[in-house]
Amino acid sequence: MVTSPIPPTAWALLLRGLMRNRWPMAASFALLSLWQVCETMVPVMIGVIIDRAVTTGEVRELVITGLGLVLLFTVLSYGYRFGARIGFGVVQREMHEVRVEIAAHALHRRGARSNLMPGETLSLATADAEMVGLVLRSIAFTVAAFFSVVVAAVLLFSIDVVLGLVVVIGVPLVLLLAQVVTPAISRRTEHQQATIAEATGVATDLIKGLRVLKGIGAEAVAGSRYRRLSQHARTASIASTSSYGLMTGLTAGLSGLFLAVVALIAGHRALSGEITVGELVAVVGLTQYLAEPLGMLGDISAHAARSHASARRIVTFLHTPPLVEAGGSSAGSHELTLRGVHAPGMDGLDLTSAPGEILGLAVADPTTAGSLVRLLAGELPPGAGVVALGGVPLAELTTDSRHAQLLVSPHHVDLFEGTLRSNVDPLSALDDAALQTLLEASSAVDVAALDPAGLDQPVSADASTWSGGQRQRIALARALAVDIPLLVLHDPTTAVDAVTEHRIAAGIRAMRGTGRRTTWLVTSSPALLAQADRVVLVREGRVVAEGSHHDLAHDAAYAELVLR
Amino acid sequence: MSATTERDILPIATRAETSALAWRLVKSHRLPLILSTISFVIAGLAALVAPWMLGSIVDLVREDAAPADINRAAVIIAVAALVGALATWVSVACLARAGEPALAQLREDVLDKALALDSARVEAAGTGDLLSRVGDDARSVAESLTEIIPTLVNSLVLVGFTAVGLFALDWRLGIAGLCAVPFYVLGLRWYLPRSGPFYARERVAQGERAQALVSGLQGAATLRAYSLEGGQLEVITRRSDEARGITVTVFALLTRFFARSNRAEVIGLCLVLGTGFWLVRADEVTVGAVTAAALYFHRLFNPIGALLFIFDQVQSTGASLARLAGVAQMPPAPAGTATTPGEPGPLVLSAVGHAYVEGRPVLSDVTVTIAPGERVAVVGATGAGKTTLGAIAAGVLPPTAGAATLAGVSYDDLAPAGLRSRVALISQDFHVFSGTVRDAVTLVDEAADDVSVRAALAGVSALGWVDALPDGLDTRVGGGAHHLTPAQAQQLALARIELADPWFVVLDEATAEAGSSGARDLEQAALAVTRGRGSLVVAHRLTQSESADRVLVMHEGRIVEQGSHDELLHAGGRYAELWAAWSGA
Repeated sequence: MVTSPIPPTAWALLLRGLMRNRWPMAASFALLSLWQVCETMVPVMIGVIIDRAVTTGEVRELVITGLGLVLLFTVLSYGYRFGARIGFGVVQREMHEVRVEIAAHALHRRGARSNLMPGETLSLATADAEMVGLVLRSIAFTVAAFFSVVVAAVLLFSIDVVLGLVVVIGVPLVLLLAQVVTPAISRRTEHQQATIAEATGVATDLIKGLRVLKGIGAEAVAGSRYRRLSQHARTASIASTSSYGLMTGLTAGLSGLFLAVVALIAGHRALSGEITVGELVAVVGLTQYLAEPLGMLGDISAHAARSHASARRIVTFLHTPPLVEAGGSSAGSHELTLRGVHAPGMDGLDLTSAPGEILGLAVADPTTAGSLVRLLAGELPPGAGVVALGGVPLAELTTDSRHAQLLVSPHHVDLFEGTLRSNVDPLSALDDAALQTLLEASSAVDVAALDPAGLDQPVSADASTWSGGQRQRIALARALAVDIPLLVLHDPTTAVDAVTEHRIAAGIRAMRGTGRRTTWLVTSSPALLAQADRVVLVREGRVVAEGSHHDLAHDAAYAELVLR
Repeated sequence: MSATTERDILPIATRAETSALAWRLVKSHRLPLILSTISFVIAGLAALVAPWMLGSIVDLVREDAAPADINRAAVIIAVAALVGALATWVSVACLARAGEPALAQLREDVLDKALALDSARVEAAGTGDLLSRVGDDARSVAESLTEIIPTLVNSLVLVGFTAVGLFALDWRLGIAGLCAVPFYVLGLRWYLPRSGPFYARERVAQGERAQALVSGLQGAATLRAYSLEGGQLEVITRRSDEARGITVTVFALLTRFFARSNRAEVIGLCLVLGTGFWLVRADEVTVGAVTAAALYFHRLFNPIGALLFIFDQVQSTGASLARLAGVAQMPPAPAGTATTPGEPGPLVLSAVGHAYVEGRPVLSDVTVTIAPGERVAVVGATGAGKTTLGAIAAGVLPPTAGAATLAGVSYDDLAPAGLRSRVALISQDFHVFSGTVRDAVTLVDEAADDVSVRAALAGVSALGWVDALPDGLDTRVGGGAHHLTPAQAQQLALARIELADPWFVVLDEATAEAGSSGARDLEQAALAVTRGRGSLVVAHRLTQSESADRVLVMHEGRIVEQGSHDELLHAGGRYAELWAAWSGA
């Protein structure tokens, strides 16, 4: 578990990654630098072999310098192997920890008041967490590249000061020139990726709505809409690839021209005997090689900018406040009351229930019903008035106390990957007999009978193979499975046929109608309302009528809403 | 309906089929392809010049030649650099002009095929299978075409031409260089079989990690309500850690593979220099030639490294391409050839039956005739076969027994588009397509003008709230844009029917997901679209059957009662029982 405090800024988040991994990172820096320096030495070593062995024909020199080359490669290879491995391990651990930190915030017991869509939060926990980890990798390679450039410069100056100056000034200049086209390329690449993403997004959107499309014969229109976007993506991709080709050509051409200049100067100095043939080879080899570490150094600012943008998004998300307010009190009794509550769709609403009561709430306006459920779940603070449990305002209760007393089951059904059993009874608190009773009460026995494995049948992510009615009944069984003093059910049977709904209503009564368990049913189903001890009609944000379902049937407004 | 563990996924093309398809698509862009090939060859040849000239400078120095000769060699390097730069640019740009249109063609074919697929086929494969093909696979191929493929071709050309260059210097130096090849091959043969399964596992583990995250994020409210958020976080943490473990293991393998490629490098370099040493001693080649050979070989490290490094990406692009080709190559659905009837006639189902699993019929011997303009409601308990009947009547599901005809023409003989223009279906699964409100409605008729779109919206009483949206008809909905309630989404679906104006419409619990408070408005809208056209309404809210011309009561796959609402109520059978339950009497 991550226990460290949330870093205040994006830079602090990135710095924390570096600081909490400082020792393995230091080891990785050292080994990777060793590797880069050895890579730099390879062309120099080739020059030495040509100078001391090939030109002289001395076998002894060949053996010694050859062994030197092998030793150089051995160090280089192990340096990279272990340096990269340590660094990679740290990077992956950092990504994992940031990912878990994001998930922990999103799944906080009191929620996160973030306006991100689930998909956007997912991208924070994957793509952005990865960018934050990758900054450590960039730093490691930058350090290594820096050392190798320093070593190369020292070597060049020790061979020849003029050549050293030409190379040390010339190579960065060439890289800088090649960068001229970079902004254009990144602009085109971004445009390309955006068009591809748009086309892909539309394609997946169309496939998700495939049934709807087929029902109305819109395949041809859908296909032509996609074709248009695909053609945009094609045009953008050609532009982007062409500029990538231009950059590759430009880089190759400029370094080739620079090599010609170095060859010219080095050739003349070798001709005049100021440097040896082997040194000529070394200089030329170093010139070709230096572009690589310098390129790495050039990339660092772009990498840092990308990582910083990701880190900023993550920090912003981690600082979002909890969705549900909580305090330090516990509820004395489990009496749920609303007093003079103002909220969207509510105009001084008063509601209360007696312990043990099944209260039916026939709410005319969907906005009012939505607000009511969110108020009771603690996700919406009342604009005025009080929502209280056992006389204590909800926001002053501890989360534990609230959860021990009150369960609000939303209309929208979320089921989870696992088994039917794990969905109905996630805490494995019930035996088979109790589960059977629950499935009967929620008329979900037929769902269990779909598969020979019964309760242990696998459930795919979000139970997508089940119909809306099946999903609703499983969610209802799950709500009824919790032996909670106060249960709020919001439209639990909208996708269920009338006969089944009638059976479910009786099942809810059987499960919740005994003892001091209180149940609030927010619904306009007559079958459910008929089972309530008392029904209130809520219109224009306040209670306008009250009584049994039977009594209220004579109320015109009630009949219009409920009896259709 | 039950969750299947073994999925019958859509076909994946073989390597030969994929290559054949890719070739067929690319070869229609012959000119850019030829230009690209020629430019790659020129770029490869130009790349040989520099080390060769450097070798000759070494010889010139040793021979104490005139300074002008060195100038000449440097100029040749410069010219080759310019030619190579130009050729590289042209080769990549032309490759894009051949490859991108071909890829666009492929992904459009794939989507057309996907849209034409039978819903049952898609569900058997899992929607995820198709989604990942039109989504991730299409994107992965498109993105790799920009950098991966040019890098691949570039590196291959460079490696090939450098080998030629080594042989051109001296055949023995060429052979010495080639001796490194088996070591690279050994490295690959060590690495690929070991890493392959890990990569597959890594992808699975990352998929499970994403799944755990998505479930947690989407279901956060429910998880909190049941105090399950801690458990889900543990699942996420475990899955993330598992994926991390596998990734780190694969990387350790990769570094060991790089060590093997370092070994191949040092062996090759020693052999080239050693051979050169003996050849110079025997006076067979010059020091300059050995220098050139060593430089050739040293310069290969980067392209070979790039090849090895992108090997995985090339493989995964190939796999994505094969998955796209698999869909593109699926045979087209057999299309009927009869002309679509021009005059409204009855929709007739004669003795239709259906079994999703052989031997377990969900619908048996159902005969229904719906006259143009008639409103027929279907009621019954869950599992009575109402949805199956609706799907058969709409022609999206072919019955396994019996026949369906429209104005006397069999559904089998009608072209799908023709049938669809006459019979439309709205089911309870709604979907808000990403785009504007106008786009959502004009899905059935792209040419429709705003006047007809507004008329259609007004017909289903949706114009009021649409006009109240921030940008009216231009308001973007779906995806992350403006959120519509399920009732509003279904109203848009009903508006499409108004605009398309088919003879018949099948409404399968089209109001179910709306929630009780929103259902009434939606029901009014549904009633509006059935006015003036024949309709089959699968109803769970019995208000819908009350207003129908005729009610069919289904039980265990058969029609057990039919008649008007009043007749059935008086008959005191199953319908009367349903009505009593419904009205809470």
